[in-house]
Amino acid sequence: MAKDTEALYAERFSRYTTALRNGRPDKVPIRPFVAEFTAKYAGYTCQEVTQDFQKAFDAACKCAADFDWDAVVGNMVYVWTGLTQAMGTKYYAAPGVEISADTGFQYLEPPEDEAFMPPEDYDALIEDPTGYLLNVWLPRISSDIVAPGEPNTERNNLALVKGGMAMMQYFSGFGVQGQRLREECGTVSAIAGILKAPLDILADKLRGYLGLCTDLMERPKKVLQACEALQPHLAHVALTSADPAKQVPITMWMHRSCVPFISFDQFDTIYWPTMKPIIETLWGEGYQVMLYAEGKWGAHLDRFAELPDASIIYHCDKDDIFEVHSKIGHKFAISGGMPNTVLAFGTPDEVRERCKAIIDGVAKDGGYIMDASAIMQNTARVENVQAMTDFTREYGVY
Amino acid sequence: MTKQADKPKKRPGVCIPWDEKVKELPEITGDAELVQRVWEETDALAYTYVWHCLVSF
Repeated sequence: MAKDTEALYAERFSRYTTALRNGRPDKVPIRPFVAEFTAKYAGYTCQEVTQDFQKAFDAACKCAADFDWDAVVGNMVYVWTGLTQAMGTKYYAAPGVEISADTGFQYLEPPEDEAFMPPEDYDALIEDPTGYLLNVWLPRISSDIVAPGEPNTERNNLALVKGGMAMMQYFSGFGVQGQRLREECGTVSAIAGILKAPLDILADKLRGYLGLCTDLMERPKKVLQACEALQPHLAHVALTSADPAKQVPITMWMHRSCVPFISFDQFDTIYWPTMKPIIETLWGEGYQVMLYAEGKWGAHLDRFAELPDASIIYHCDKDDIFEVHSKIGHKFAISGGMPNTVLAFGTPDEVRERCKAIIDGVAKDGGYIMDASAIMQNTARVENVQAMTDFTREYGVY
Repeated sequence: MTKQADKPKKRPGVCIPWDEKVKELPEITGDAELVQRVWEETDALAYTYVWHCLVSF
């Protein structure tokens, strides 16, 4: 690694990790979660970066080399459709196949009566979550994988082998990508490790949101038991995918387990009691968790404030970032707050105005990381992303 | 973790427990701990695959 790139990496690493721990670095770190935006910038279609993860890695590196960002995700177009197609996964619409080549991949939630897990399966899931996923859920979500006892097929065997090998190939690539970002661009790999809440997993991948809503009313005890059964496994997945050096956070992707999707009581009696211990366990092992609060989770800031100081970073999507800062900024670092609509449809002046408001209102004592509100797809305009970068670099100096 | 979660029926990281596999093997005359460790490590790879299908993809 060239000495100046090494020095640049060290400077950015210090800046980013200081802010993550709610400290005040030399400047406001910039850590955009750029997904299909990288394709647009590098001259690829959405299909290319989604189907060929090496092109996604290349696109992320090109952005990191050209923009003065402190940290990026190695590949934020995280669903590699090569893998999902090898497994026969039914629930993705892939760009260039089911949808246009210039549209980001789509998750297809099945109709309520076709949920991947019917309500009568709760006991089986609770008894043995891993066995349920392997023997019941995988066959349901795949067009090729068959359940034990069903006639086996060549397609079944191939789907399992290909899926496993593809996943290993893809995950191994992230290690190489992280090194490349460091050595070629002096850029930090922003996150490591994945976490989702038990209740979110139940809605996203098992019962569907509508099915879960029914369950919360008709069988809340089963929902709670299922969340408790999923808890240790989700914590284990987070731990085993985390940064070995414990410097960058595990990311918890938060979906529909907040008010108004569920009630305050359901949040307090099911979501929080089965999520909080996971975060506390991870913190006890030395890992921060970034709460990527998609949508608006501000109704629950009082609950998040129960967590140990610096144990989380709170990412703002549609929440009022100034309110978030006033309520929990003394305990936790905050990121986000630049609306994707402004990056897509606004002007560079509007972007700079918003950056200034955030830096003045939220970042003045440190503990803030500049980013868009949500993952940046190919709607974000290059000149606006450049304006966000340049202004933050110039104005966000402590 | 909550009470139910304190005692999972099958530990995280496990698909086929070693206790179950060892019954299928003849008497291990060499290093039994070596066989167990590698079994558990490769079994954990399958666990990783299954759970990342759920959580990551």
